Amino acid sequence: MAPLGRRHPPPRPTDGGIPLNPLSLIVLLGSAGDAWILALVAIRGRRRWLQATFAACTLAFLINGAAFVGTTEGLWSQTPEDVLLGILLLSHALTAILVLGLIHGEALPRKRAAAFLLLVPVPVLTFLAPSQGWTAATAFDETVLGGFLVLCFGIALAEAIYARSASPMFAPHAFWIAVGMVALIIGGPVYTYELLILGLAPLAGANVAVPVGLACFARVALQTRPFPVRPKVARGRTTAGTVRSADAILFDEARPKYALRVAHEEAQANRPTLIVKRRPPPITMSGASFAAIEGGRHAAERTLTTASDFLTTAPGGLVVLEDLADLSALSGWRSVREALVRLRHLARGTASTAIVCPSRLTESERKSLADLAFATWTLPDPATEIVAILGQSFGSGAGRLVDSFCRGHGLRRDELTTDHVPALLAFLSRALGDLTGVVSDAAAHGLRVQFEAAGSVLRSFASQRAEEVARGKWPSRKAIQEETDLLVTAKEYWKGREMEELFAAADAVLEREPLYERARVVFVEQLGDAGEGVLQTQLARLGKRPQDLEKRDLARIADRTGMDLKSVAEVVDVPVEKDRIRRQIESIRQRLESIAEDPE
Amino acid sequence: MDERLRTFAIRSGFLFVISLVLVAGFWYHREFYQIGFTNLLLIGGLVTFLVIWAARLAMTGELPRGRPSGELALSVDEADRLLKRIAHLVVRPSESLVVPPVGGVVRATYETGPEVTRLVIEDARRAFLSEVTDEDARGAGFRSAADLLDAGRTRWRWRPSDVVTLLRVRPTEGSR
Repeated sequence: MAPLGRRHPPPRPTDGGIPLNPLSLIVLLGSAGDAWILALVAIRGRRRWLQATFAACTLAFLINGAAFVGTTEGLWSQTPEDVLLGILLLSHALTAILVLGLIHGEALPRKRAAAFLLLVPVPVLTFLAPSQGWTAATAFDETVLGGFLVLCFGIALAEAIYARSASPMFAPHAFWIAVGMVALIIGGPVYTYELLILGLAPLAGANVAVPVGLACFARVALQTRPFPVRPKVARGRTTAGTVRSADAILFDEARPKYALRVAHEEAQANRPTLIVKRRPPPITMSGASFAAIEGGRHAAERTLTTASDFLTTAPGGLVVLEDLADLSALSGWRSVREALVRLRHLARGTASTAIVCPSRLTESERKSLADLAFATWTLPDPATEIVAILGQSFGSGAGRLVDSFCRGHGLRRDELTTDHVPALLAFLSRALGDLTGVVSDAAAHGLRVQFEAAGSVLRSFASQRAEEVARGKWPSRKAIQEETDLLVTAKEYWKGREMEELFAAADAVLEREPLYERARVVFVEQLGDAGEGVLQTQLARLGKRPQDLEKRDLARIADRTGMDLKSVAEVVDVPVEKDRIRRQIESIRQRLESIAEDPE
Repeated sequence: MDERLRTFAIRSGFLFVISLVLVAGFWYHREFYQIGFTNLLLIGGLVTFLVIWAARLAMTGELPRGRPSGELALSVDEADRLLKRIAHLVVRPSESLVVPPVGGVVRATYETGPEVTRLVIEDARRAFLSEVTDEDARGAGFRSAADLLDAGRTRWRWRPSDVVTLLRVRPTEGSR
């Protein structure tokens, strides 16, 4: 039809458009909400199976909603009834599977497969529907079909209620899942029943409460998502390590030193290894993966899902859970205890190993942990043992020698590990070399013999694996009388003045030990092998050679390195990495300042 | 406007909106409820009960974080620093410390007993005293880790090998 002039607009729908059924509007708005929630879970989620189930469930509800709106508003002809019914069945079964996946997120693949058995009746019921006269509109009638739909929602709700009462760790999440399920039940079957009572058109598969339900599920999915793991591990079963598999082992040590050492040893042997701890470690070359525990009430669940994700990706792997005490402070001990029980099942189910470190736990927590009857390896503090070994040769002054070494390397004594043994021996060797000419030849010879004896024991101790150390006698526990069995004892050579000469020599070593070497140790410990390159770059900027390095240069190097690394941190988007770099900067700065301020 | 009055107004407004929604819901479903007095009694009773329950929690300030659990005894100086937001860390021996997990609310009292405020626990970690840094100590309102150790030595006979819990806290909104 041609327009008749200015006052007659071209043909188009009347102002205000086609009147929309209020229920259709609600379902349409709900569908938009569903899509937004789905996108959120897809972007921010970190569990592919759960995300896939969530997506499938949401899509099924979306299709049902679209079919209802399309049919009600006459946008298309009647949707094929069997297809609609099939999708309705699918959405309910997937809801139950999704809830089971949320609650048992760390479950093994075979348990996951068991949950998917709920899908088996879907094609059967869809096939039977035409012959039985079942439709989406009458789906909640008292039929086998209605029974299955109610069963799906019932399983999900019952599981949520059970988890709420039985699981201290999952109780807050179970509450939200139960809220979501109640909303779905009210928005689906109950509302359909109300519409029937009112004599209105039934929802025919649509559910007005889907956004509420999905929002609750999404909240749980995101709150329990795993921590980011870097580097990611390759999928598949891998090399067996030296630590026995299919178990959880408690490494009872004051500080988790052997636990970390085992992790790096296993990683170097190509076993997939994950270290879960609060703060990112310095860069290491062992190849172990790392996940930083983020602060928050749900840290225990997230730690468990992180371990679960890792071990189902790489069965036979090793997970080292270092900061159990921090988890307890964040989530409460009851949640952590439950997470440990589940972690043990997970380790057994995937033929993997979980190492947990009870360092910094309270007495009551330790007692509760003992009730779990984990295999326990009681391990010494290497710092104590190193002092004890040196004490066998150098008497009560061993602690002062170790302190001199630590001062020179910007370490606290409690930070000493077996990795420091070679550097300590080199340090002592230089100190003993300085005593030549200061003490008599006989005494110097005796010192050398004593040093070699101590060095041998130290090297032997450092080379012991954690399992051997846990079984063996520790130097600090050996009877004092063993000292008398030595062929040459410190007492024969180190009397009064000589002892003081040794300490003076050790301090002198500090003074003479090249600053470059001490700075290099700091850089390499924090930045890995690349650390030496960073130090050399800074030296080049100062226009100095390693042997010309002075103490006042260290402060400048610390400042400049800090600025360089800060600029690196600024371009990093990952908060964990940013935090790690920030800590590295701080650690390098503190230790270089400690060396520079050392009075010697 | 006074902070408490503002909080009261917000909470009351929230409660009033819920009441309106409730009445609107009953009106919308008036035909449905005509099917029987029992249905109305059960469903309406349940919904009203939930609303009253939520209102009670809202008015006592226990929503959305729940009621406070545990107690932190603070010295006058410590409480003052926290209330003025000069400090945000509380360092306590881990043994015998009873506080809720992160996100929970703890009741802060003076050592003599009266309640000072309620604190939301934002973060928590444990450390050996020897690992507490100067930055941590400054967060707790001390000049250095050595000062913090000195203060704890008098109060709790701290040694560097003792384990402490560092709580990052924030006074709840509406507390003075």
